[in-house]
Amino acid sequence: MQPLANVTPLKPAARAGAIEVKNVGQVFKTRSQDVVALEDVSLEVKPGRFVVLVGPSGCGKSTLLMMMAGLRQQTAGTVTISGAPILQPDPDRVGVVFQEPSLFPWLTAEDNVEFPLALRGVPKAERRAKAQDALKLVGLEGFGRRHPHELSGGMKQRVSIARGLVQDPPVLLMDEPFAALDEQTRMTMGDELLRIWAATGKTVVFVTHSLTEAVYLADEVIVMSARPGRIVDHLQVQLPRPRTYEMLSGDTFGSLRDRIWRHIRKSA
Amino acid sequence: MQSTLAINLARIAIIVAILALWEVLSRTGIVNPRLLPSASDTFVTLGDLLQRAAVQKDLMVTATEVLTAFALAVPFGAVIGFLIAENCYFADVAKPLLFFAFSIPKSIFLPMFILVFGVGFAQKVGFGFFSTIFIVIMSTTTAVESVKVEHLTVARSYGATPWQTAFRVYLPSMLPVLLEALRISMIFNLTGVILAEMYASRDGIGHQIAIWGENFQMKQLLAGVVMVAAIAMTFNELVRWVETRCSHWRT
Repeated sequence: MQPLANVTPLKPAARAGAIEVKNVGQVFKTRSQDVVALEDVSLEVKPGRFVVLVGPSGCGKSTLLMMMAGLRQQTAGTVTISGAPILQPDPDRVGVVFQEPSLFPWLTAEDNVEFPLALRGVPKAERRAKAQDALKLVGLEGFGRRHPHELSGGMKQRVSIARGLVQDPPVLLMDEPFAALDEQTRMTMGDELLRIWAATGKTVVFVTHSLTEAVYLADEVIVMSARPGRIVDHLQVQLPRPRTYEMLSGDTFGSLRDRIWRHIRKSA
Repeated sequence: MQSTLAINLARIAIIVAILALWEVLSRTGIVNPRLLPSASDTFVTLGDLLQRAAVQKDLMVTATEVLTAFALAVPFGAVIGFLIAENCYFADVAKPLLFFAFSIPKSIFLPMFILVFGVGFAQKVGFGFFSTIFIVIMSTTTAVESVKVEHLTVARSYGATPWQTAFRVYLPSMLPVLLEALRISMIFNLTGVILAEMYASRDGIGHQIAIWGENFQMKQLLAGVVMVAAIAMTFNELVRWVETRCSHWRT
């Protein structure tokens, strides 16, 4: 397949990092019936925004994220990133951070971070320099030589984030990256992610099960319902940044979380 | 936890104790020395045998057979195992059949190998191959299944080509299991070839051991046993050494 050869070139940098999902549908055909995983999903993410997708299990939020990553093709509609459709994975436009076990255990932290660059034949010295920068950004300077089994859960996810950022794509997609972490580490990692986000200005789309995490991190929360997966609400989180632990017990926070919870309870 | 030194010393002590017991049982006549020649006598005979051209030739014959059977069975079995693991339909059809085949003691087919190939190189290599291939197929299937879907997705999301996926994800994921498979396959392979030699052959160390046994040459027989055991253990340890170097990341 020729990647993007017949597609209009990317529009100017103003669009870099913008995500547009238009009338996207996904139907799984099984022997007995057709399962509608996503139905007429449309949303727009402006460059540099932090958007969180939440919803009950089976609402298709991860499926939607995988479509943005080019890892899965929708059966209807279009997904556009930085002004051009996503037809297959494109690491120049999109970095992906997966759940915990996604690091290669046989590679050191720095080799894991270099992996995307190694695939494209970037020279060793340049690769190393970029990996060091990425590791420094996620607060793991000096840990490059360790193997994943020598790192804690939180550190492993920092390495994953560094791997997602090493090619400097305008968009970072995160699929429940902190789901396997304990509560304390999860809070710390949330703050760390917000710091990294503020420092890099990436567009972030983040999938989670945790409503607290959703409201704490997001500029916008998109709530989805299950069977068929649809967008049922799109909230703007007007809390000031930087976010602090004290906000968790505030009224704004509570009412936003309640609103999301009511949607989810209804559809589950 | 004990230190490595202490553990190694304990191991050496056990080996020395077994050799000493062997020596004492034989020397004092508790066990008839004609049935169990002493350890020292056995090792002297071993040194003697290793200098004989005939024995050297037998060892070469066996080594050639073993390596040929191994070199045929491993790639052949690996390809079949890979196809089975990667193809759902093929896996559904073939897997239970393989388990059936694997459960059968291979030695009962030995007379058929003699009828088909005659007595000689082809029969022994053929039987070695037959003894080895099932375990290679099954281990390769396990090795392919040990590749994590998450890792393949990561490679895909960063635009890996099929070759890059093969060499950067499949191979390193499978390596520890494959090396272990190689080691265990060699045990099956060696057993197959030696058995074929002992059953019907004109040369090879297995044949020689059988002859020594029939002629009641206990010293030679025991020396032969020690010889084959040492070769098998050396190969095993060699692969195990590579294994630990390649699998340090496994927990």
